[in-house]
Amino acid sequence: MTASLEKGIRVLKEVIDAPIASYFNSCVHCGLCAEACLFYTETGDPKYTPIHKLEPLRRVYEQEYTLLGRLKKMVGLSKPVTDDELDQWQELVYNSCTLCGRCSAVCPVGNDIVYMVRKFREGMSASGHAPAGIKGAVTRTVTIGSPMGVKLPAVQAQMKHVEEDYGIPIPLDAEGAEYMVMLSSMEIINFPEYLAAIAKIMHQAGKRWTLCSTAFEATNAGIQIGNSDLAKVIVSRIVEGAEKLKVKTVISPECGHAYTALRWEGANLIGRPFTFDVKHIIEVLGEFQAQGLLKTEGFETDRLTFHDPCQLARRGGVIQQQRNLMNQVAKNFVEMPDAGYMNWCCGGGGGASAIEEGEELRLEAFKKKKSQLDVVKPDRLVTACANCRIVLEEGLEHYQMEIPVVGLTELIAEHIPEKGA
Amino acid sequence: MTISNDKEFKSALAGLSPSQQRQVAARFVQAVFPLSNDVRIKAALEAAGRAGISDAELAIVAQAANTARVESFTQCGREADWSAQVGHFVAKAAVACVKPAEGGGNLAWDAAMQARMARTCQTVADGVGTENREAETQYRILEAFLNS
Repeated sequence: MTASLEKGIRVLKEVIDAPIASYFNSCVHCGLCAEACLFYTETGDPKYTPIHKLEPLRRVYEQEYTLLGRLKKMVGLSKPVTDDELDQWQELVYNSCTLCGRCSAVCPVGNDIVYMVRKFREGMSASGHAPAGIKGAVTRTVTIGSPMGVKLPAVQAQMKHVEEDYGIPIPLDAEGAEYMVMLSSMEIINFPEYLAAIAKIMHQAGKRWTLCSTAFEATNAGIQIGNSDLAKVIVSRIVEGAEKLKVKTVISPECGHAYTALRWEGANLIGRPFTFDVKHIIEVLGEFQAQGLLKTEGFETDRLTFHDPCQLARRGGVIQQQRNLMNQVAKNFVEMPDAGYMNWCCGGGGGASAIEEGEELRLEAFKKKKSQLDVVKPDRLVTACANCRIVLEEGLEHYQMEIPVVGLTELIAEHIPEKGA
Repeated sequence: MTISNDKEFKSALAGLSPSQQRQVAARFVQAVFPLSNDVRIKAALEAAGRAGISDAELAIVAQAANTARVESFTQCGREADWSAQVGHFVAKAAVACVKPAEGGGNLAWDAAMQARMARTCQTVADGVGTENREAETQYRILEAFLNS
């Protein structure tokens, strides 16, 4: 169906539920959410105050669902939401919001602002005001199955490459495997070493695992653009693949939104419980570590710090596992200020890194990460999200900070003895 | 010496000194460099190919090669352009060539693998699948290096 203002307003009316109504009524205009948002702190521009980013949604709520608002609308005293206004708001709802959830974490009355932004994006998308970059990702997801247009032959090329590099077979469509490993397009295209690391770790742990030819892509562009129908289609592909192969656990890759989409929203999107567990790769590694299945040798001796992906740590509650893993292979692991639950976003989550016109603002916002890194002065930066990794690398390059970035899964795999692999 | 598989290839590379590894790695990357033609990578390969390269010189070319690598990442959600991705893996291979000897591991093997990825991206971009002869090309390059 073609996007239009009428459709967008209708969707906005539909997405306003009891939590959103209570959130708008509860807001005490304290401004704490502004101080929690790196787009506000690094620019000082009040338009980036998270609750302000929801102003058109608030007006729809007021005009449609409050007595005073409806009276004002009847007598022509309220300002209708227009196409021009939503066009202006695109920057606030997409470019300058990574859905990192820091605003929700600090709100003194418990408003889940990021939940509201997600809902607002549904209306923005329906009205045709999503950014071209994310629209393109969505189109490719629908037509090809991957937001970056990655097809199975590309995955098979990576599998072959890893098999040559490490001499470990990569299983595809192995029915009855314990784990079904998902990849993000980013890992297929930019970081083939992630798949190699998984192969080494699973081999050493003695676990049966597999990739799925019909569901290798974990990234969910539907969540990013704000289109629940599309998000459901993407989750359904994974569910069908996992159930066909009868796996016990689906492993979300080092990709923040893939994890949120599948782990926390997936079952609600398809309307029934999964027949399998969903875990982030870091959770699985944490379990292997606790069970004594992760045997490493040697230590990194340079100064390492860890960037917590927002969807993993703040939205997903996975905080201690990555620290335990770091300590298994690093002698000199130091924490950045605000590490863990309140870590600052890299600036590129929630689809923001796919928006070309948002690049300048992203680099401005990266000053927050720069300031965190300046405090601890690490030799290397470790993270567990492929998107964070590229955004971090670009930011570090822009600010001429020579700090290599590595993925945690790869770092662990590098310490697995050759005989173990 | 004849090399006919990756086991022999990796073993022979591991037996080289860091300087020799760098030189032969540069030759592996030279074989795929025409797919990129980035001047920063060219400089890195020229430096890596010199026997007496100093650490300071290496650091300069490594920084430039790394910039080429970072600039050629495909961003999350953007359409994968396999032709452009060739350049990324050529840059990644070049970075392996000029990384510091300390902690460099089997840098020639790393460079060879990234060069193979570059070739695979090129065949994908050309629509001719993923099969190519880059590994065999690298075996012949190493043989020539060892026999020289």
